[in-house]
Amino acid sequence: MLEISDLRKRFAGGPEAPEGKVALDGISFTVRPGEMYGFVGANGAGKTTTMRIVMGVLQADSGEVRWQGRPLGYDDRKRFGYMPEERGLYQKMKVAEQIEYFGRLQGLGTGEAKKAAADLIERLGLGERRNDAVQALSLGNQQRVQLAVALVHDPAVLVLDEPFSGLDPIAVDALAAVLQERCRGGVPVIFSSHQLELVERLCDSVGIVSAGRMVATGTVSELRAAESGTLRVVVRDATPGWADGLPGTVTIEGDRHILATTGADDQEILRRAMKAGHVEYFGAEQPSLTEIFKEAVA
Amino acid sequence: MNGLMLIARREIVTQLRTKAFVIGLLVTVLLVAAVSYAPKIMGGDSYTLGTVNSQQLPLERAAPDAEFEWRTFPDEEAAKQAVLAGDVDAALVDNARVLTDGEIDSQLGVLLQSVHREVKLGEAGVNIPPLQIQSVGADARYEGARAGIAVVLVLVLFMLIIGQITMVAMGVVEEKGSRIVEILLSSVRPWQLLAGKIFGLGVVGLINMTAILVVGLIATSVSGLSADFPPGMTGLVVGVLVWFVLGYVFFATLSAALASLVSRQEEVSTVLTPLTMTIMVTYFVSFYVVNNATGLLATVLSYVPPFSSMVMPVRMAATEVPLWQVGLSMVAMVVAASAVLALGAKVYSRAVLRTGARLKLTDVLRAK
Repeated sequence: MLEISDLRKRFAGGPEAPEGKVALDGISFTVRPGEMYGFVGANGAGKTTTMRIVMGVLQADSGEVRWQGRPLGYDDRKRFGYMPEERGLYQKMKVAEQIEYFGRLQGLGTGEAKKAAADLIERLGLGERRNDAVQALSLGNQQRVQLAVALVHDPAVLVLDEPFSGLDPIAVDALAAVLQERCRGGVPVIFSSHQLELVERLCDSVGIVSAGRMVATGTVSELRAAESGTLRVVVRDATPGWADGLPGTVTIEGDRHILATTGADDQEILRRAMKAGHVEYFGAEQPSLTEIFKEAVA
Repeated sequence: MNGLMLIARREIVTQLRTKAFVIGLLVTVLLVAAVSYAPKIMGGDSYTLGTVNSQQLPLERAAPDAEFEWRTFPDEEAAKQAVLAGDVDAALVDNARVLTDGEIDSQLGVLLQSVHREVKLGEAGVNIPPLQIQSVGADARYEGARAGIAVVLVLVLFMLIIGQITMVAMGVVEEKGSRIVEILLSSVRPWQLLAGKIFGLGVVGLINMTAILVVGLIATSVSGLSADFPPGMTGLVVGVLVWFVLGYVFFATLSAALASLVSRQEEVSTVLTPLTMTIMVTYFVSFYVVNNATGLLATVLSYVPPFSSMVMPVRMAATEVPLWQVGLSMVAMVVAASAVLALGAKVYSRAVLRTGARLKLTDVLRAK
């Protein structure tokens, strides 16, 4: 289990802003083994800073990262897989060689590194490019290599900053499948993304950050429950003015009246709608993650 | 294999595979070989002389370094034609006259006159013992060779150090700018990364240096030039290798530290300017020392790091330096290089993850 508790970080200011900038203002969350944790937030909200602190690339001013109940140390981090936001690969190094090199740096033997690299290359569909220099690859393929570098040593935890950005839908599926497989193997996976539908589809838990603070965190259904859904009612041939006094808005499309409302007494609304005309639709709609996100960040 | 060695190995393998390295090594080796042969090709005077009804003069006895070739002509007219055509430098006629095309080469003129006189005097029974020349100054027999070796050494040291520390700087910025360093530093310590890179590129430099020395030694011995070398060449070669390593460690560490302040390759040369200036100054001073190897400046600077890294090997080549002086100077350089390593590692590990605008050295040192 990876526990992040109360991380705070202030960046030193320049001449224009002597006080500096608060990047993290108390970020806490927990990722359980086999859990896929989606990290969402606007640009500059603090996702990357949090991940860099988890990876030890940056020091927090205060707060703690714990792994298996102990403070996370250098030797634990060696077993983590990391994909930084700005992709980092040696442009002139060949694909297979590069993956093997990082595998060896992370403690694999020569044979193990070779085998792990070959497997990943196969798995990520890079077979034909194994002996090409990274700079000759398309952006999407470079990203696959980057993921392979993060995965090569069979990491105990995966920390991925925007792994899906700039990928086509097929590459997204390939990458998602690999992540889900690792996750099922008991590896906690944290990734950040702006593609909220994707996060909603893949993640067990979601954390929403805004201005350095965790504004909402929990499983997707917990977040939904906290947010009451929108009630929609469609009534045909309704008596004009039937919804007067009810909260929400009524739009009229031809002979249909559509009422959208939140937080009202649904039974009362149903009674009045049936009295007013022919009820075609009545239902509470689950908020999408996008709606939850907008609500939380607002 | 630990992180440091893996990093060093990657640097070495990557460098050795580049075309630039292979071509660069071939070019330097060819240049060194050419330089080793050059004095042989250009060196030594040689004269072609003609005789008409005359005896050949024993000129080689008076000028053992020069070569003389004699041709016999049937009559004066043929000799005159040969002189005018430039086939012979001069022609001796009837043991009395010398035909030339305009002014005679002054050395040849003196030689002909004095040898002719000696021969005539000898025939008359007069024997003049040659003058004994005795130097009261330092042993100057190897001065030319020593200066030549020193000039080549200082150039090689300068080129290799500048070349390798630029590679170090570019490597540091490549990793910082592309954020590879973030992945690297999640599995190795900053000092391992820094030391691995400096070590790896140092090995590449040492391969270069060894190739130059070996080719130089072989080529000079094949060309016969090494006969003129002063004694103690082995000591000098070992000394040069040690000095290269010391100078390289000093400058490469500073280079890595400075390079870690910037994030783009375009900024590398600007941020390295103070360092390249220092190396240039060291180079010029060493060049000056070649011709003033026993002067006060040479003696003092051969103890002062980092100047000593080039001045001392030049002094060693250009004159004889007592071993204790070399040892003392090396100790000073080792101390300086260690201090620079400690400082450089500090700057590097603090700066290498701070991507973006160029950092100020003072800010990096002050930050906690």
